[in-house]
Amino acid sequence: MTNLTERYIYAATRSVPEKSRGDLSTELEASIGDAIDARVDSGEPRIEAERAVLNDLGDPDKLAAGYTDRPTFLIGPRYYFEWWRLLKLLLWIVPVCAAFGIALGQVLSGAPAGAIIGSTVAGVLGVVVHLAFWVTLVFAILERSAGRSAGDSAPPEPWATWSVDRLPEIRPKGMGFGDMVASLVFLAVAAVAIVWDRFFGFVWTGEERMPVLNPDLWPWWIAGLFVIMIGEAAMAIAIYRTGRWTPGFAVLNAVLALAVAVPAIWLLVNNQLLNPAFFTTVIPADSAAEVYSVVSVLTGFGIAIIAGWDIIDGILKTFRPARTPVCQS
Amino acid sequence: MSDDDILAMHLQELRRGTVVLACLQLLRTPGYGYGLLETLDARGFATDANTLYPLLRRLEKQGYLDSEWNTDEARPRKFYRTSAAGAALAASLTAEFRAIATAIASLTPEN
Repeated sequence: MTNLTERYIYAATRSVPEKSRGDLSTELEASIGDAIDARVDSGEPRIEAERAVLNDLGDPDKLAAGYTDRPTFLIGPRYYFEWWRLLKLLLWIVPVCAAFGIALGQVLSGAPAGAIIGSTVAGVLGVVVHLAFWVTLVFAILERSAGRSAGDSAPPEPWATWSVDRLPEIRPKGMGFGDMVASLVFLAVAAVAIVWDRFFGFVWTGEERMPVLNPDLWPWWIAGLFVIMIGEAAMAIAIYRTGRWTPGFAVLNAVLALAVAVPAIWLLVNNQLLNPAFFTTVIPADSAAEVYSVVSVLTGFGIAIIAGWDIIDGILKTFRPARTPVCQS
Repeated sequence: MSDDDILAMHLQELRRGTVVLACLQLLRTPGYGYGLLETLDARGFATDANTLYPLLRRLEKQGYLDSEWNTDEARPRKFYRTSAAGAALAASLTAEFRAIATAIASLTPEN
């Protein structure tokens, strides 16, 4: 056995389990030897015959994969669609949440706007890379572990078997993906705006920036508001997943709307919602009280109208006749 | 991908299972790797060495082939022989192949 053959056999058998390696090496050596002898018998020099035989056998890693019955792909047809669906779902949800979290943290720590945008973009990119890598890694491991027996083509895992139960709903307009993303983005923007208002202030008085909302609402009232907003986000995702508004969603939507509007109006009536310093600073002292009451009334009506419209919108969407948008365009 | 490549791919798809059947039939008389490769080639089942060798070990692992080392000659060789299960598999595959051949023939317009 010459150096080349020796190296080839080593390369082709090193990844084969120890117990069958000796057997396989001897067999492969005999097969290569036979093939070389056959070429030599027909008049080829031994050196060239060996090269030709080994070149014909091809990449030893490929041969080794054949021996060990190992997949020569990262994620095969058995898991490809599961992997792709999960990755898409996570890539729509997680980066949005991460962007919100990072931006919130940066705003809370008083970072300037450029730094907030910069670290949010960098953070989201990092999250996307990590997400794609780890999800793919898990599926690649799954591909190489679960229930691999030769000749077994049916997926043994219950979650990998597809049935009609998993057909996607035909989505009426207004319940598609864009609506969910729009809801989530709106909630994220609103949350950032509230935090921004507290730490930087939306109103420029001429000398300094001032929050519109009463700073005394922090932390508990605002924390409560954020909890409700997370509930709204969860509901938007749930509606998308379900594919339609149900009476349950309409009720939940109404409860969430009231949970924001009722405390807000109560706070407004008790002069706790808006920043009192804002009015005394911006408006001349003699008319401040009057302006304050007008603004309060307008704000109160605004909150009530938005909440009422939101509740009615939910009910209308629930009982709107189902349309099949497939044939319409 | 050229037309030749596509043709080669389709031919390979069509031939894939037939090598298994040919091996099971030929190995009713014991044979070893390179010798079987030559026999297959001579009988019209052109097969690559790097396809056949792993296939033999896989069929052995699945119990369709038995194996035995022959050390009588200078070069020790692993001889394979079709097992009882292998013979049964060969019978099933042959029946299936005939059924397919009949079905294909019924599709072909008579000349």
